[in-house]
Amino acid sequence: MQPRLLTVSGLLIFLSMLGCGNMRITSDPEVIPRPDKNPYPSTYQIPVSAPWVLLGANLLTGDGAELLNVDIHVKDGKIVTVGANLEVPDDILRVAGAGQWLTPGLIDVHSHMGVYAAPGTDNHNDGNEMTSPITPQVWAEHSVWPQDPQFEKALAGGVTTLQILPGSGNLIGGRGVTLKNIPSLTVQGMKFPGAPYSLKMACGENPKRYYGGQNQLPSTRMGNMAGYRAAWIDATEYKKSWDDYVADVRAGEDLDPPKRDLQLETLVGVLEGEIRVHNHCYMVDEMAQMIDMSKEFGYQISAFHHAVEGYKAAPMLAKENICAVMWADWWGFKQEAFDMVRENLALVDYAGACAVIHSDDPIHVQRLNQEVAKAMSAGNRMGLEISAAQAIRWATLNAAKALGLDAQIGSLSAGKNADMVLWSQHPLSVYSLAQKVWIDGHLRYDRGDRSVQPTSDFNLGILKPGAIRP
Amino acid sequence: MKEFFFICGLSLLPLGVSANSILISGADVYSSAGVLARTSVYIEDGVIRALGDSVPDSADMQIDAAGKSITAGLFNASTHLGAVEVGMIDETVDFFSENPAVTASFKIADAFNPQSTLIPFNRVHGLSHALLVPEAGSHLFAGQVALVQLGNRPVVINDSVAVAVDYTESGFELAHSSRATAMAMLRQALTDALDFAANKAAALAGDRRDYSLSLADLAALEPVINGYKPLLVRTHRASDIGQILRLAAEYKLQLILSGVSEGWMVAEQIAAANVPVIIDPIANLPASFESLGARLDNAKLLSDAGVKLVFTGMSWLRTHNAYLVRQSAGNAVANGLDKGVAIAAMTYNPANLFASNVSGDIVLGAVADLVLWSGDPLELTSEPDLVMIGGEVISLESRSLQLRDRYYKRLQKSSP
Repeated sequence: MQPRLLTVSGLLIFLSMLGCGNMRITSDPEVIPRPDKNPYPSTYQIPVSAPWVLLGANLLTGDGAELLNVDIHVKDGKIVTVGANLEVPDDILRVAGAGQWLTPGLIDVHSHMGVYAAPGTDNHNDGNEMTSPITPQVWAEHSVWPQDPQFEKALAGGVTTLQILPGSGNLIGGRGVTLKNIPSLTVQGMKFPGAPYSLKMACGENPKRYYGGQNQLPSTRMGNMAGYRAAWIDATEYKKSWDDYVADVRAGEDLDPPKRDLQLETLVGVLEGEIRVHNHCYMVDEMAQMIDMSKEFGYQISAFHHAVEGYKAAPMLAKENICAVMWADWWGFKQEAFDMVRENLALVDYAGACAVIHSDDPIHVQRLNQEVAKAMSAGNRMGLEISAAQAIRWATLNAAKALGLDAQIGSLSAGKNADMVLWSQHPLSVYSLAQKVWIDGHLRYDRGDRSVQPTSDFNLGILKPGAIRP
Repeated sequence: MKEFFFICGLSLLPLGVSANSILISGADVYSSAGVLARTSVYIEDGVIRALGDSVPDSADMQIDAAGKSITAGLFNASTHLGAVEVGMIDETVDFFSENPAVTASFKIADAFNPQSTLIPFNRVHGLSHALLVPEAGSHLFAGQVALVQLGNRPVVINDSVAVAVDYTESGFELAHSSRATAMAMLRQALTDALDFAANKAAALAGDRRDYSLSLADLAALEPVINGYKPLLVRTHRASDIGQILRLAAEYKLQLILSGVSEGWMVAEQIAAANVPVIIDPIANLPASFESLGARLDNAKLLSDAGVKLVFTGMSWLRTHNAYLVRQSAGNAVANGLDKGVAIAAMTYNPANLFASNVSGDIVLGAVADLVLWSGDPLELTSEPDLVMIGGEVISLESRSLQLRDRYYKRLQKSSP
């Protein structure tokens, strides 16, 4: 274990040394050197596997449809075709799906696995850089412990994509990262190639409680707003300094680039539309403040997370094209989480806004399908007539939309990544278990085959020599 | 109210109109004797008077329950219901004592608020009873466990069904040192309780040696050391469970274990000591070094070894969402536990252990504590069509439903 850690940290040091170059100097005079936007790139590769076809499964497609008894042809990690009685080459690998239910891989857009790894001891407390309320310079990926034994449990629950976020202790908590839920020695090996970065922001009680207790700003909600706005003002100026520099160099001036600022680089990424804002925000009035602020400084909010009052905000969210990322039923741990209704997802959906389920929790992430089932059932109880095919969007296509990945994942349709889960029963049954989980067409979990049940180094011999933690 | 019943499409009576007799026809009835398929249940004056073929033809309220199911009302055996409103608002949090002179004598029942919004929220989802288990705040002894009934007029049924001990890592932290210190403190406290019980007059007069707990705490431990009242010990690690089993044997205590993430590793020992366990079967993560052995089939393995199960759940939301004990139970079944055993673990078993006057069962002569589910009793897509607690039909109203209805009306006006 120890040598591997040394290897990983050595690798990180090496990579960070590369990153210290700051500027990728190029010989092309038309290209003005700017800080590398991707100094810790994904090293994930789709494993090479032969084309195959899943036969005769029942699909909840993720985009609202239910298809019975259809085949799916997978090649090079992508879904090639979905349809009944597909004509495929004779020698292609066939996987039996008859009578079984298939969904897209489930997506959790709010996870702290890796940054709050198990066991939950102080040394694994890597999710909140609570030394300042404004920390856009920290990146969650730099805290992720890929051996967190929680990842594999989420995989066994059918979760194929995870957004790992910093915690909500800070007004601006840092960058989140989107990972493929695969075993890897390094976080770079899990990073979803090309996925946009996110910025975690937090409304409400958490920042003001902690920093108020430290007798520093923010100790109030108005202090919260002042804190964000000051940061966006700095970011706006920083963006201008780079824009001016680029313009002046183009005009022929010979200038040194502005000094890099890690905090403001991330915020400028938001202002330039490359980094997506994921904003922890429970209450409708605070959501409205955050929306006004986004307009004041010119950025788009991708999603409000937790959004316990999403049902109050739904028309506004629909109008502003902001997803509400919600639990099925969490409430009461804070005043801002007091007005929970179990119908939250159903009502946000009803109002035409983008409803997304999330876990924020290593137990709940293992059964996002059940969380969807509860949220659907609550809606149906009040007469909204939500089908399972519609409801599963909350953990698939809508979640992909919140991440800016809806062109790649979230539905079972031609051209999408072949992230798929085959279930033992109807996916919304409490008795249903993920039987097989594919990521990019590659089988990553098989309940019936121990050789396809990845397990963390942590689990080896931890209970008993020679045994693996179950 | 009217709107809600209209939505549900049920001919239930509005609150305030009492039905002297209720006939539920054709539901699958989950009783301690097994599943009675497509059986009718007749309730008169709040008591189950007839089951199956002997039910009368009509009643004041009649429900066609084909395709539905009935269980006894659900218990959650580890909550703080009525002793907290908002977790982060200290003023509403009453489930632990930080006063070192109030440990075993701490009665959570004294803090019970029957007007808590958590109670109607949970009972409309089928929760009829709960144990209120205090948390340790200053000593390993957390206080006395209460049993409450969550009907239209919530009431403490028994203000002291057990004395709770925290023998987990958080308890060891309160002991300021090692788990060995914690064990020494438990022995000292029990020894002091024995001494106090045998020399009460002298102790009260100030003529005995110093004790490790206040006299009130020692008095609260008297029924425990005399074996009348169980000690309810929360603990996780297999070796810690073993230590507690030995302690209980040595002091001849009635014991109930709680938590027991690694219970499956010592299941035979627990079964041999005839000790019931309160567990959340959904806990499967190595959340701490004391729960490295946590696994999803812990409940099944314990049950297979003959251990009596009592459920709590789900996860850390076991108070505000105490009704989700049903989801934990469903997951236990998905991972191998017998469905009847799972249902008994939230009905008959806790009633049997803690509530002499509650049957936790669907049997003739029992006061109706029951839930009519719209489908399978553990499916998350099943909702309660009727909840009876203490023989009364409960009102299907809660603050949360009022919020829902207020905003649904607004959305109906503004949405396509």
